[in-house]
Amino acid sequence: MIVPDSVQGVHPMEGTALGPNAGDGRGSIRLADVSAGYEGEAVLTDVSLDIDPGQFVCIEGPSGAGKTTLLRLLYGSLKPRTGVAVVDGVDLGQLRPRHVARFRRRLGCVFQSYELLPHLTTLENVLLPLQLAQMDISRPGDRAVDALDQVGLVDKMDSMPAELSCGQQQRVAIARAIAHEPSILLADEPTGNLDRVATADVMRAFEAFNDQGGTVVMATHDEHLRDRYARRVLRIQPQAA
Amino acid sequence: MRVLRRVLGWIPVWPFVYVVSLVGYSWRWQRRRLGVWFVTVVAIGAVLSVATTVQLLVWLGERSLSGQLRDASEMQVFLEDSATADQQAALRARLAALPGVTAVTYRSKAQAQARATHDPQLSALAGASEGNPFPASFVLQLSEPRVAAEVLDTARGDPAVDPSIPASYTAAQARRLSTALAAMQVLTWGLDLVALGVGALVALALLRSEIRARREELRILVLVGVPRLVIRVPLLVQALSVAVVASLAAVGCLLLVGQHVVPAVDQSLPFLRLGSPRWAFTTLSVGTIAASCLALLPCALLVRLPR
Repeated sequence: MIVPDSVQGVHPMEGTALGPNAGDGRGSIRLADVSAGYEGEAVLTDVSLDIDPGQFVCIEGPSGAGKTTLLRLLYGSLKPRTGVAVVDGVDLGQLRPRHVARFRRRLGCVFQSYELLPHLTTLENVLLPLQLAQMDISRPGDRAVDALDQVGLVDKMDSMPAELSCGQQQRVAIARAIAHEPSILLADEPTGNLDRVATADVMRAFEAFNDQGGTVVMATHDEHLRDRYARRVLRIQPQAA
Repeated sequence: MRVLRRVLGWIPVWPFVYVVSLVGYSWRWQRRRLGVWFVTVVAIGAVLSVATTVQLLVWLGERSLSGQLRDASEMQVFLEDSATADQQAALRARLAALPGVTAVTYRSKAQAQARATHDPQLSALAGASEGNPFPASFVLQLSEPRVAAEVLDTARGDPAVDPSIPASYTAAQARRLSTALAAMQVLTWGLDLVALGVGALVALALLRSEIRARREELRILVLVGVPRLVIRVPLLVQALSVAVVASLAAVGCLLLVGQHVVPAVDQSLPFLRLGSPRWAFTTLSVGTIAASCLALLPCALLVRLPR
């Protein structure tokens, strides 16, 4: 069961399939009575929430409450079973499988385990998705360097991930997530494996993205982070048996 | 020059940059696992080499058989010495009307004897006989040996036909030749399919192992929104490179067999009449490259990518 601290009235948005007109609602997230889960198991039921562009939202809750499921839903990995879910102007219920990749290119995503490619350098890790996914992006090399500069790792661009600290690896993952200038950044326990100093570095990168108008949705169970950085908190409680 | 510059200005640069990035990524993909790629090429190349070599020999054998079949397609209906001109004309008309008989020509006793003197098996008989033991005949060109049965049915009992030996060969012999030719053709096609099937299976195993080895990387690429088709490009490149290089190895083997083995076989076993393999070599080479590409490319599309 998800109990957001502020269940707001859901804006009745017209379902917009991913297409040329999917630009309305950039940076916003709207869920109305959404249920989602895995085979035979409903993890989220009747969730309604409304996140405006530019917000910094923390989703908190104990393990198994459905934080990751919610992020997977927002990221297009799960389809809503019921209700309406509109992310960045895209109605996820009407999102066709062949459009999922295009939808994901509108977002940035950061994972707890960094998900860097170990055989590529820092720069290549940021550059490769830009080159392969963002087909019509101009000067991808410059974009990648800029993104690394934003997270303070431009001097490490030739290093391999194994040569970096955990915090630096996560910042590379953030650089990769923001290099294509998404309007929404989703982060699933991004500091779960980091110490205090590294956590502060990573959070500064998130703050910088948010200061530039980007929406940040971060799942965490760290109360300190919630209190220090979040401008809004959504609390998820495990579903009653 | 200004027009050219303006035209070039309209052409977007990103498709070229994108293609270069894609090729670079494909190469990077391939480079790290060249060992596996090489082993697969050797395995598929060996399969294709054996298949094409056997196929070359089967094709040459089939051609030799076809030549013999063409000879067999010339069937003679032997005429009774006492047959009148009217009887012969009536028989000729009936034979010419049969479906599958493409031509009927008359061969007189004198012509038959003249031919026999040049035939190594009949020349002794021609020299030993006082008179002319060779009968006059109608020489029929048959579209295929199976027609011989109908010819024999028509000729049997005709007053113009020699009742003891009506024709140059029997319907059963014709059937056996026909069956042998069909079997050779089936064998050739069967070998083609088996070789391509084995090659495709080996390639599929390679591509699946590639996917397994790089599952983590592919999962990350899927997560960051790389189109699935783009993720498949290195697999397609890999399948294509395996198909082309393995086929070229098979073509090299074929060249070796065609230049050295076939002439040696022809020299030591001349009755096989294998002849020059040039036509078969060209056909088999092009066919092998095209067929292996067609067989392996779908493998790259069949392997499942992580979700």
